[in-house]
Amino acid sequence: MSTTRHAIIEEIIEAVVEGEPEPVIAGVRRALEAGVDPETVLNDGLTAAMTSVGDMLDRGEVFIPDVLWSAEAMQEGLALLLPHLSEGASRSAGTVVLGTVQGDVHDIGKNFVGLMLSGAGFEVVDLGHDVTAEAFVEAVAEHGAGLLGMSAMLTTTMPVMSRTLQLLEARSLRSGVRVLVGGAPVTQSYADKIGADGWAIDATKAVAVAKELV
Amino acid sequence: MSDVAPFTPAVRLSHLGDDVKTRIFEAALRVLADVGASVQHDEAVRLLQKAGCSLDSDGLVRVPRPAVERALSSAPNAFTLYDRDGAAAMELGGHNVYFGTGSDLMWQYDPHTGEHRPSRLDDIARVARVCEALPNMDFVMSGAYPTELDPRGVYAVTFLTMMRNCTKPLVIVAESEIDLGVIIDVAADVRGGRDQLRERPYFLAYVEPVSPLSHPAESVAKLLLCADAGVPVAYVPAPLLGATSPVSSAGHVVQGMAECLLGLVLHQHRAPGAPFMFGVNQGTLDMVSGQPSYAAVEGFMNYLTVVEMAKWLGLPNWGISGCTDSQAIDAQLGLEVGELTLLSMLLGSNLNHDVGFMGFGLTGALEEIVITDEFVSMNKKLLSGIPVQDEDLAVNVIAEVGPKGHYLRHPHTRRYLRKGPGQWRPRLLNRDNRDRWVECGGLDLREKARRKVQAILESEGPPTLDPVLLALAEERVAALKASPKVGSPS
Repeated sequence: MSTTRHAIIEEIIEAVVEGEPEPVIAGVRRALEAGVDPETVLNDGLTAAMTSVGDMLDRGEVFIPDVLWSAEAMQEGLALLLPHLSEGASRSAGTVVLGTVQGDVHDIGKNFVGLMLSGAGFEVVDLGHDVTAEAFVEAVAEHGAGLLGMSAMLTTTMPVMSRTLQLLEARSLRSGVRVLVGGAPVTQSYADKIGADGWAIDATKAVAVAKELV
Repeated sequence: MSDVAPFTPAVRLSHLGDDVKTRIFEAALRVLADVGASVQHDEAVRLLQKAGCSLDSDGLVRVPRPAVERALSSAPNAFTLYDRDGAAAMELGGHNVYFGTGSDLMWQYDPHTGEHRPSRLDDIARVARVCEALPNMDFVMSGAYPTELDPRGVYAVTFLTMMRNCTKPLVIVAESEIDLGVIIDVAADVRGGRDQLRERPYFLAYVEPVSPLSHPAESVAKLLLCADAGVPVAYVPAPLLGATSPVSSAGHVVQGMAECLLGLVLHQHRAPGAPFMFGVNQGTLDMVSGQPSYAAVEGFMNYLTVVEMAKWLGLPNWGISGCTDSQAIDAQLGLEVGELTLLSMLLGSNLNHDVGFMGFGLTGALEEIVITDEFVSMNKKLLSGIPVQDEDLAVNVIAEVGPKGHYLRHPHTRRYLRKGPGQWRPRLLNRDNRDRWVECGGLDLREKARRKVQAILESEGPPTLDPVLLALAEERVAALKASPKVGSPS
């Protein structure tokens, strides 16, 4: 890659890290005009920048809102890039249906997971809170979701997760979707017990587990 | 590290009314005027007589009210300490709060082996290195007594070791006016002359009278030398509650003030306007075990009173922080360090020494300095007060997000964190969830502090001292050690 092209990629990375959408869009546009391979822009620019932001968060160098802003800026760049990417190139990490289970109104944790998943390139269908097993299953079927994320903050609402899994089985949808559970009282052993595919302790871990599952 | 804005708490603690402070001050004046004190230095007695005091037939000096009032009016209510390079570093006065170590600990928890062993000269170097690296340690006091050395000239050697290993201002201890004189000479060399040292003092000398009401020749001689050289001095008694002072808190403070104020009268008569620091150390005798305590709650009560009296008198104050009676780096240490340090910050206590002290000033641990630094950092945030501009009240932001929304992605959240007051970040304290904490080794605070100490000691030290100055300083110290005037090993 020429120095100019290299510099453009560096600018894109910097703009994503700073969470500034306009320079990201301008950078992607310039990269395409300069003839940089769109997949290089995606992998070495946008994706690399988000990995870098994630590492900075791990080291306590940025705050969570910074990551969300970076994710948003990245998405803007991605939207411009999408028509130029070949069919085979990873456009989306997959579709996730997300919600807090029936009887539970706590959704800041679930919102946070949604924002982080969206930042990581997932299409997020957020059903909100107080979501029934039926609603989860219908949304999975409707959106052809590869991933279902359920959150519960109360021990009394956790059984809805188990019910949803049973309903997925009953509708023969279980094999097509990986199920991720979380929330303060939910543990790995509970996830194992009800037959979920994954559990994460927090939003950052949820992204890692989601990426492993799909 | 210098020319930084001083920390002044917006949240403050004050519990004494003017009537109470007046009663305490009047009581101290009665002790000075009626009981008197033993001053074991002829020249000092003559000076005190010239200042209006009487030397009575019982051999005691009595200090009348006008002499105290005159001294109080000439003493500066603030003065500045400068770092090794001559930059202003500590503005001592008002409610400005600074922290640093104490001196002369006989034992150390070895930072490498964890062994409890006698202190050595290299411990002083390590204390200085650690303080230099910590953003909330403002000055350095030796932290250790080099037990392996011949005691002749040992405080000058200590001074040189501190000076070589950090650039922050120093608080020093000397045996007599002889070694203090050498220390002043070395500091004057660093500054480029006596006048320059007077203009930009590099250190404060810590001098103690002996409670009750006794002013030994060496203490008084050091006090006078500081007055002459314009070197800031803290003249601070250490009465032990119920043993060398009355057992009552107010009585302890009254006697301590009388002792300190006699020093002030002498000092200001010798050099009106010279920098003087007020203080009374808080020591408590455990009346069951006979063990003195640095962290007894009665001592804390006296401390609150002493600092308030200093503010009331308009004098910079000598304070205490970051120390414990615990013999281990444990939860008791955290609790006592935290309480005393937070009190100092709430009081706006000016120069707070003894960070890193354990077991009544006998053992030192570098981990404790690192832990205190984290605690100070956290509480600087706590006591900074909350801004309440429209931007902070955030009514518009609340309206924009509305019921059932969230603020994680609102520009206000990001702006506040990035460009506004932000959020205080722990560097040692744990906030990891269980999984991540286990993944990172499951380290407790003691171990994290130990590792931070190691990292500091392995990092590059401060800029070295000019070799010409160093050679000159070593020459002066060598001459002191060879001098027949310094005491022989006891």
